[in-house]
Amino acid sequence: MTLLDGRNLRKTYRLGRSNTVHALRGVDVSIESGEMVAIIGPSGSGKSTLMHILGLLHGPDLNHGPRPELSFGGRDMVELGEGERTRIRAREMGFVFQDFNLVPTLTALENVALACDYAGIGGAEARTASLAALDLVGLADRAGHRPAELSGGEQQRVALARALVNRPKLVLADEPTGNLDSERSSEVLATLRRFNREHGQTLILVTHDQEVAAACDRVIRMRDGRIHEPAVPAPIALRPAPALERASA
Amino acid sequence: MRDLGRRKLRTTLTILGITIGIWALVVFGSMANKINALVEGGSTYFADKVSLSADAGMGGFSSAPMPLATTDLVAAIDGVDVVVPEVMLLMDDEMGAMSMSMPPMIQGSVAGSDEGRETYDLRYAQGRALTAADEGNQVTVLGSDIARKLDAGAGDTIDLRGVEFEVVGVLEPTLTAPDQTAMVPFGAAQQLFVASLPPMVREGVEADAVSTSMTVYPEPGVDPDALARRIEAQLPDVTAMSGQDFDEQIGSSMAILNAILIGIALISLVVGGLSVVNTMAMSIAERTREIGIKRAIGGSRLRIVRELVVEAGLIGFIGGAIGLALGALVVTLVNDAGRSSGTVLFDLTTGTAITAVLFSTILGALAGFMPALHAARLDPVSALRYE
Repeated sequence: MTLLDGRNLRKTYRLGRSNTVHALRGVDVSIESGEMVAIIGPSGSGKSTLMHILGLLHGPDLNHGPRPELSFGGRDMVELGEGERTRIRAREMGFVFQDFNLVPTLTALENVALACDYAGIGGAEARTASLAALDLVGLADRAGHRPAELSGGEQQRVALARALVNRPKLVLADEPTGNLDSERSSEVLATLRRFNREHGQTLILVTHDQEVAAACDRVIRMRDGRIHEPAVPAPIALRPAPALERASA
Repeated sequence: MRDLGRRKLRTTLTILGITIGIWALVVFGSMANKINALVEGGSTYFADKVSLSADAGMGGFSSAPMPLATTDLVAAIDGVDVVVPEVMLLMDDEMGAMSMSMPPMIQGSVAGSDEGRETYDLRYAQGRALTAADEGNQVTVLGSDIARKLDAGAGDTIDLRGVEFEVVGVLEPTLTAPDQTAMVPFGAAQQLFVASLPPMVREGVEADAVSTSMTVYPEPGVDPDALARRIEAQLPDVTAMSGQDFDEQIGSSMAILNAILIGIALISLVVGGLSVVNTMAMSIAERTREIGIKRAIGGSRLRIVRELVVEAGLIGFIGGAIGLALGALVVTLVNDAGRSSGTVLFDLTTGTAITAVLFSTILGALAGFMPALHAARLDPVSALRYE
């Protein structure tokens, strides 16, 4: 079943009067429920922009080309206002960022509970759900700690718990292992993989990391604001590793 | 709420700014309250009558001699119902002119001579009122401030200008003139008054033929102001003051003083308010990234604005509460110190207290609103990239 379907996705940023960046030049992309997909590509290839549009953080450009389409769970997202997109982000999506992005003044538990709160769940129910989510990422015993008291890997697992606590239809992760050493990186990746396998969690990962891409069902390679080649199973996309290295450089 | 603790020094300074503003509002507001109560009391008292004196004494309290015989001349004037001659004199010659509030006075008139026309209601905390039967006796009813200053109650004996008087009653506080007055029988007041005159003047004055002022109650339906003008026309030596004259003379000058006092307080509050704007703008700029996180994971704009406005309102509330506490402390201390000299400067009412705290809370929230709105409108992705 198709969870997310985008057509003619374009995004142009205007940096100055005459300086425009065509971050996305027309992308068609489709994500199936239960899939774990990696989006890879060199810097400036438009992979983060694509993730922001799929995650409803930005809307696609409506002008200068065929009308864009974006459906999530069968609903049209292009016409939605900011308030409704915020609601969907809160209730049906989870986000993981490269630099963790936890709220520094809140404890691990409160950070996770914040996502419940935004999704309209409060009180004891939110607390129970948040503790359960922290337990799933192996951090139940660190619930009362502030981000500053946690290691990078632990912080990212708290962020993971926050992304997963509302059982979202889709989790979007932007370089989730980018700031972690290889050991922590593997831990986080294993947790993501486990969620995908055991709970059928749909995942979109933007990454530079070969290991992360290799763990996904499918790899979308981007270059110059377009999907570089037809999506193929990860092992095939990643097979000529030296060639990929050259492309990413 | 926890964010308040993050930048302790800056938050503390901001709260201090609000505190000073509210402190000023409470202190100056209390001073204005006291002045208002004083003027209000006078205005109510003079509303239905005309006050006569030999010169234009401030607020109708004159201490220049006036022949008692004037009573008959006044009573003959058309529209005059009842005339009550009185004697008023300063309790102590040394004070008076330099005082912000009313100086302590001794006042004497024959009890009941108003024939039931006086509507100003005096309540007694202790003892009883003076009666006509007290004429010839050295008895007194004390206003609340005087009783407190002399530490005297019913049954005590006190000294008024060198003469001993027995206290038979003490008034409830009125916040206006009677608080600073010792009421004595008319004859006793006449004796005290003559004794207070310089020897040269005293020669030609008979104690039982003197008064210092008269209160005229008009006949029903007669306009007090018109009657005052008529009395002045017929008796050139007499100054007549109606309630309207009192309001014009005293009321308008007090209104200006009030406006100045409240103005000073408001200026300090605006400065305090601007410092909340500054603090919130800076603290929100620092938190741009955090706001980006919250927006990205599904925090609505309304939620973001609400959190920040509540935080700013809380800064305002804390500053207001501390300012109120310090203001109340100053008001209490100065009033206690002033009571011994008979000068009570402040009246801190519940209304003033509530207004002060409410005002600072709303001011804080408003100050936080603009930067909060700005922050909530940021694009989450750019906010996340903000360093």
